[in-house]
Amino acid sequence: MNYTVINRDVHVGAIRLVAVTSASLFLIGDADTIHLASAFDTPPESLIIGPFVPLVPARGEQS
Amino acid sequence: MKRTSVVQTFHAETLIISSVLQIGDSERISARTRALAVQRQYELFFGAEGEQVFPIFTKPIPRWLSPPPITVRQTIHESPVLSVRDVRILAISSSAVVQIGSTSTVEAEARIKHIRELAAPELGA
Repeated sequence: MNYTVINRDVHVGAIRLVAVTSASLFLIGDADTIHLASAFDTPPESLIIGPFVPLVPARGEQS
Repeated sequence: MKRTSVVQTFHAETLIISSVLQIGDSERISARTRALAVQRQYELFFGAEGEQVFPIFTKPIPRWLSPPPITVRQTIHESPVLSVRDVRILAISSSAVVQIGSTSTVEAEARIKHIRELAAPELGA
């Protein structure tokens, strides 16, 4: 695939962000390769209601 | 040839947990976070907790393997300026990257395990 990029004026006034988080990128500029990955884990058993005991992997999560 | 980024005012409050604030060009930025986020109703600490390995921290995250299609891209910068007057960011966290300037490669990975612990209601309460 052949294509030509012609960059002309880019003027942005104001940018307001509450948060840039969890492997995110806020870039004012150019980049060639961007690789971002984010994973989070909140299984049902991660809500524990009961006596406080030291954390151990739940049954199903033995490594 | 990369463009020039121009920012008049930049204001960020928080930069935390392996995050990067880069002002200027760079070649490569890579950031990685593994977080165990435990929210416990009462402040109890049992020493070396969470040392055990949770699968979320080791499970491979799929990645684009296919080589990018062969492209012939010609870039002409009629105006080599990228300008933003005012940037305000409250929080930059967990392997986040904020860059004013150009780069070649940005690689970031964040893995977060959430655990919530609430006290059991009193019997008869």
